[in-house]
Amino acid sequence: MAGTAALAGRPLAGQRTALTAAEAIGRIQKNAGAPWQSETLDTFKAGDPATAVRGIATTAMATMDVLARAARANLNLIVTLEPVFFGRLDGPPTPAGDPVYAAKQEFLRKNGLVVWRFSDHWRARKPDPLATGLAQALGWRPYQVAGDPLHYDLPATSLQSLAGLLQTQLKARAGIRVIGDPATRVRRVSLLPGVSALAATMKDLPESDVIVAGETREWESVEYAADTVAAGRRKGMIMLGRVLSEDPGMSVCAEWLKKLIPEAPVRWLPAGDPYWRPA
Amino acid sequence: MTASEVVERIRKNLGVPWNEQTYRDTFKAGDPATEVQGIATTFMATLDLIQRAHAAGMNMVVTHEPTFWSDRDTVTELGGDPIYRFKVDFCNRNHMVVWRFHDHWHARKPDMEFGGLARALGWEGREAGPNQHVYKLPPTTLGALAADVKRRLGARAMRVVGDPRATVSTVAMGVGYNIPRVSGKIDVAIGGENPETGGAFDDTEYVMDAAFFGGHKGQIILGHAISEEPGMEDCATWLRTFISEVPIRWIQAGEPFWAPK
Repeated sequence: MAGTAALAGRPLAGQRTALTAAEAIGRIQKNAGAPWQSETLDTFKAGDPATAVRGIATTAMATMDVLARAARANLNLIVTLEPVFFGRLDGPPTPAGDPVYAAKQEFLRKNGLVVWRFSDHWRARKPDPLATGLAQALGWRPYQVAGDPLHYDLPATSLQSLAGLLQTQLKARAGIRVIGDPATRVRRVSLLPGVSALAATMKDLPESDVIVAGETREWESVEYAADTVAAGRRKGMIMLGRVLSEDPGMSVCAEWLKKLIPEAPVRWLPAGDPYWRPA
Repeated sequence: MTASEVVERIRKNLGVPWNEQTYRDTFKAGDPATEVQGIATTFMATLDLIQRAHAAGMNMVVTHEPTFWSDRDTVTELGGDPIYRFKVDFCNRNHMVVWRFHDHWHARKPDMEFGGLARALGWEGREAGPNQHVYKLPPTTLGALAADVKRRLGARAMRVVGDPRATVSTVAMGVGYNIPRVSGKIDVAIGGENPETGGAFDDTEYVMDAAFFGGHKGQIILGHAISEEPGMEDCATWLRTFISEVPIRWIQAGEPFWAPK
């Protein structure tokens, strides 16, 4: 804990904790479970790291909707898996003077919010926190293949029913897309949240009935899954979208932070499915 | 006429110099010396497409996108994969030849992958300037625009971001793995496929945030297949202008996805 001397001169009125954002992140770095990388996306993206933490929000993507909910809930440190400023490096868009960027910065400043990105090191944790979170959100923990957070043996169902279940449980709007015969009986599920490459699909699809993925490419895993079906295999692939597939993993992050940072309230704020579809 | 003679004819009529270094526009399956019975143009030589082309008597497939699941159609490590064996065996047994036509098809001006999509959308004559791929539409709402796009393209699984009530007019178009930036003067970015986040500029988050502040922005994600299939119909039409020996038909690979209700 920081001493009072270090906090002198900072606005503390009404705050429940003397912990700064920099100190909270320092604690995360020490407990990440692996050495902290020098080249990493996991840095402060907005706000003053010396800000006293009133509460922490975890999210898959720090959209304006998430930031507004965080501000209303008095959570001023936002831990985000994906960018806050619409790009890998979280820099200002070119050309300069973008109104959406300016308005988001202004909102952050006015509400005293601090945004820190937690991507590289969170994804590297074992057991895979994104797959663990997705399985928890779906109530699949009892079905986990022993010691393997990526594979689950469900009571047999159809590909169509499984897609419908995911739609309901994950509160999806239009983000879910499916490959395969809807009537295919599926039992063993392989989880590939986030972005995954062809190699993962080629390894998992032969061993599973269905892959539940976040984002894959149409000329890679999508074509492979479609060809597998065309070759007569009773298989399927369900794509959730990247953020929808990663959202529950940040609930696991919130649970972890509650233990690590007991001084501040911690809450998971799902970013939700970004997509809709006309009738 | 052999498959390699078909490619020779294409090279002669292309109107742009051939890049001998291309790894994309090469034969992917079958023997180039095969006598061609018919040509099928398509977005992607999926196994299902190759099977349907065979059933239709078209033994040469001109495909825009890969056959073996990677941009380079790298097959060196696929030998033990049963789906790879199945696809190769089907081609060999049925004397099917697959040739990719990507870079050089895009290199022509105008690029008919864009032209084909604009035609399918009913946007011909609305381009802001030649080869800019920006279209000025009569002002409408994002909701009405998206509904019109879905109806015209028959897309089951397309996805939209933004406030359906937003007033929009200026649309930037991408095809394939490309959705243009929606910042600046562009109201709507429409395209095939893109990374949802973590790119150089992420339209999805930007449009969601713009909508939060009441901005009139939208993103329409068609799917890679939906965005590039119409251009391969135009490819079939173009091939018929200089190949008359064999039938040429556009056969859609089709949208790979369905969406749960």
